[in-house]
Order: sequence, then structure tokens, then C-alpha cells
Amino acid sequence: MKIAGWAIAAVALIVLIVGPLHLNGYWLNLLYQTVLFVGLAYGFNIISGYAGYFSFGQIAFFGVGAYATGLVVLNLHWDWTIGALLGGVLCGVLAVPIGAVMLRLRGPFFALGMLGLAQTARVFASSSTALGSGSGMYLPPGSSLLPVYYWTLAVAGGAFAITWWIDRSAFGLRLQAIREDEAIAATLGVATTRAKVTAFVISAIIPGLLGGGYAWFLTYIEPSSAFSARVDLQSIVMAILGGIGTLWGPLVGAVLMTQVSEALWANFPQAYLMIFGGLLVVLLIVLPRGIVPAITARMQKRASPSAGAGMAMGSTQPGPERS
Amino acid sequence: MDTVVQLIVNGLLLGGVLALSALGFNIIFGVMRVVNLAHGDVIVIAALACAVAYAHWHINPLLLLPFTALGGFILGACIQRFLLRRLPAEIASAEASSLTLTFGLSYFLAGAGLAIFGGQIRSVPYLTGAIQLGAISIPQARLLAFVAAIVIAGLLGVFLRYTSIGRAIRATSMNLDGALACGVDAEFVRTISFGLGTAVAAAAGTLLSYVYTFNPQDGIPFTISAFAVIAIGGLGSYTGALLGALVLGFAQAFASYYAGSTLADAAPYVLFVLVMLVLPQGLLGRRTS
Repeated sequence: MKIAGWAIAAVALIVLIVGPLHLNGYWLNLLYQTVLFVGLAYGFNIISGYAGYFSFGQIAFFGVGAYATGLVVLNLHWDWTIGALLGGVLCGVLAVPIGAVMLRLRGPFFALGMLGLAQTARVFASSSTALGSGSGMYLPPGSSLLPVYYWTLAVAGGAFAITWWIDRSAFGLRLQAIREDEAIAATLGVATTRAKVTAFVISAIIPGLLGGGYAWFLTYIEPSSAFSARVDLQSIVMAILGGIGTLWGPLVGAVLMTQVSEALWANFPQAYLMIFGGLLVVLLIVLPRGIVPAITARMQKRASPSAGAGMAMGSTQPGPERS
Repeated sequence: MDTVVQLIVNGLLLGGVLALSALGFNIIFGVMRVVNLAHGDVIVIAALACAVAYAHWHINPLLLLPFTALGGFILGACIQRFLLRRLPAEIASAEASSLTLTFGLSYFLAGAGLAIFGGQIRSVPYLTGAIQLGAISIPQARLLAFVAAIVIAGLLGVFLRYTSIGRAIRATSMNLDGALACGVDAEFVRTISFGLGTAVAAAAGTLLSYVYTFNPQDGIPFTISAFAVIAIGGLGSYTGALLGALVLGFAQAFASYYAGSTLADAAPYVLFVLVMLVLPQGLLGRRTS
């Protein structure tokens, strides 16, 4: 079973690496979008799924990565990959003080604080002349999408690997303890601030690295595409559809949803936000935990019918109710 | 000196506008502990509807006030009755899922606004003049919004204090278990409260259609400033919300004169984060466990 799993993973990886060499523009673009959103959904999943701090503002880091890449390419004339790398590092550095401050806010306060942060970053970018104000920055057009695709694949793969590690590490358990009850986690000796800020930094570096590739892909950066509400909403919907706080959820959600979203965006750009917003609402009511936990629960129920529903979902189930 | 007086007047009027846009948000949060991220979008849609009605038929938005408020009430009651009530009720995930649901609603409404009204910026070119008192000028549109904010807040206060539904709403927001023990139908109270909060938001949008220009994607800044107002004042406290609106109004008026409009736009957000860090209960907040 374990060997079979590794074999499937190796085959999938080879297909993802070699396959694009034989794809034409449309399919390569679709594959790039899929991998991009897999990465973004994993970024959201660490701070919001495992640590339970819902952040609606991770797009701020995506935008910082995009703008950092633009500045490096235009002013220093370095390769865009160096810019994207520096963008990721910058996001990690910025996330330490931002996380230390924002993570003192709880629940809706944190969520709104992050939404406001993204909004403020967008306003800042559209008024700063160094960042091209509202009219944006033009990058030299790249010859091929392949380098951006491989960059994004590497980041998304890294995000998956980190989540895989978190899912089975003591660090991951600490994050989940914080999610279930932060006060109790603290009394049990979890260094909550350090764990939360670490998760926040990881969740910031991932979109930061991806933003640089996205900037090079668009060859044009302006506030509403770098801090895109559409990208933000979409990655959150995907993570929730697949199942947040799970290892496989973001992958399943993003792969399924990117195909839907590309078709919608191509055919109904006017109704796009409405459909996706409505979808999120329906999803929360019909399938609140997401696809992966629902499947796991069903499989485990079949394996041992006597086990209660509460046991069936393992680590993805919120723990014992608070008194 | 005149500049300072003018800035104080500006701050006061802006405070009125902010109070108006935060009132409905405060009702919903006070009763249900739900942060309604779609609040700003309701304001924007009501304002856009008024702008379109004015452009096509020259209808004064004030005449539309009862209809937008009624529409808002129905929308809000339906959101609670058909959507929020169906969320899973586990304690650990309830807050996150109601938040995410209103986040989705916010985009749904913004997208619906885009589909119905198009992406252009709209406004109501009415009451554009200003009253001159010596060197001080008072924009009529803002004065109207200010007066309306006081009237609506007063009516709301009377409703909450002297009617039985109002008392049930206050009881539910103070102590849910106590209210349930006294036979309050909490589900009914929630539906009414969400309807009321959304109705006040729609009324605010109607009045603000004179003051600002709108496009369907402007909702989030309104939500953030509403949240900032009630967070500064103390969540759930009505006098606190008025105080918070004045603090924010003055801060924004002075910041836009002395530091430029970009910084003034960021003022609600910066102030909100600062207050949350220093005074997590707000200025007049109740201390809850």
C-alpha cells in the first residue's frame, strides 16, 4: 500500500514535469492555473485550516511578491526568478512583525484585520509612484510559459510537502490544539505565539513566491491584478471545497475548481464573482467540511460501522466540545 | 483658526456618515455575534439603485427610503432564515463558518451589483451645494446624512427600549440563556435583528448616495470602516458606536488635511488595529468573558 502510494506520486510528478513539454498554449495555461491555485490553497490552509485563524488577506503577500519581482526586474535587471525568490523572502520577513501584531486579534477581528491589510496594501500600491501608481508596471514579455510553470510547480510541490510534514508533526498538533482551544493549548505548555507566527510566516512565503511567477506570467502588474480579489476568493473557496485542515483537501479542491473557474471566467466574466460567492455560501451549508473529510468519514464508517460519527473523521474533526 | 473649525465641522459630519453606516452592523453583531462582511455591499447596492432611479426617472432618493429599507429587511431576514441558520452549530467552527458565509455573500452581492448596474461609477447629483456660515462651509448632503443618522439612531433606540420585540432583541444580545429561559424565541429574534440591521444598512446606502460616488466593488471599505467604528466604540454598545464614529470622523478629517487623502483612507484601518491592540474591549465596551 505504501509502496503503491509512492509509485503513484512518482508517476504523477514525472507526468507533471515531462507532460507540459508536449502541451500547447491553452492546456499549458490551464495546467499553470491549476498548479498556481493548488499552491495558494495550501498557503491559506496552513494558517486558516491547521491553526484556525481565518485570513482573508493572504493576497497581500501575493501582491508583495508580484511587485517585488517587478521592481527587481525593471530596476536591477536581474532574472525574474531571483525577484520572485526575493519577494518570497520579503514576505517571510514582513510576516514576522505583521503576524506578531495581527495574531493577537482573534476570530472575526483577525479576519477583518487581514482583509483591511490587503485593502490598505492595494491603496498603497495604487498611490505610490515608485510602484507605477494606478497604471502599473510593464515587464519585458517572456518567450514561454514553461519556466513560470516549473517555478509554480516547485512552489506548490513545496507547499504540499510542508503540509505533509505539518500533518504528521508535533508542530501540526500544536497548531490544531490552538485551533480547538487556544487558552487550553497555552496552559498545556504550547508556545502559542511562536507556533502561530511560524504558521503565518509559512502561509505568507508561499503566496509571496507564487506572486513573482504570476507577475512574469501577466508581464504587467497593477494593483487590482496583484492584489486580486478574484484570486483571493478563489483560493479560499477551493481550500474549503476540498476540506481545510486536511492534507489532501486543498489539492482536490483546487484541481476540481480551477477547471470550473476557467470555464466560468472565459464564458461569464460579468457573473463570475456572483457565481463564486454564491458557490461558497451553498458549499458551507451543503458540504461544510469539504470533500476530503466527507470521503474519509464514509470510508471509515464502512470499515467499522460501530464507530460513531465523531470518531470517524480523525484529526480533521473538531475535538471535544468546549464546556 | 477657521481651518481648524472647518476641520472640526468636517469631522463631525463625517462622524455622522460613519455612524449611519455602522448602525446596522452593530445591531447584527450585538445580537448574533456575527460579523457581517456583506454589510458594505448592501450599502453600495442600495446607493446604486437610488443613483439609477435618479438618473432615469429623477426620483429623489429620500422618497425611495421606505422601499430600500423594506428591501433590505427582506434580504436580511432571508439571509438569516435560509442561510445562516443552516450552518453547522458546533462551537469550534460556527464563528469561522458564519464569517466565511458572509464573505461569500459579499462577493455574491458585489457580483450581482456588477451584473445589474454595470461597472461604472455612479452618483446622485442632488444637494451638491453647501451652506456658508462665515468662512465655514457645510455640505448639504453630509448635513442631511448627519441628521438622518441621529433620527435613525433615535428611532432605533426607542424601538429597542420600548417595544416587546426590541426588549427581546436586547435580552438576547445580553444573555442568550437568560432570554431563552424567559421564553424568548431566539430564532425569531435573530431573523428580525438580521433584517433590521440590513434594513438600516440599506437606508444608510440610500442617504449616502448623495454623499459619495459608488461602484459595485466599493463594499469592502464600508464594511471595514463600520467594523472600525464599532470596534473603537466597543462592540455591541450603541453609544460607543456613536463615539467611535466621531473619533474616526475627526481622525479622518484631520488626517486628510494634514497628511493627504491616501493616509486618510488608511486611517480607519490603522486606528482599528491600534485600538484592538491597546484596548481590546473598545472605548465603551462591556467586559465579556
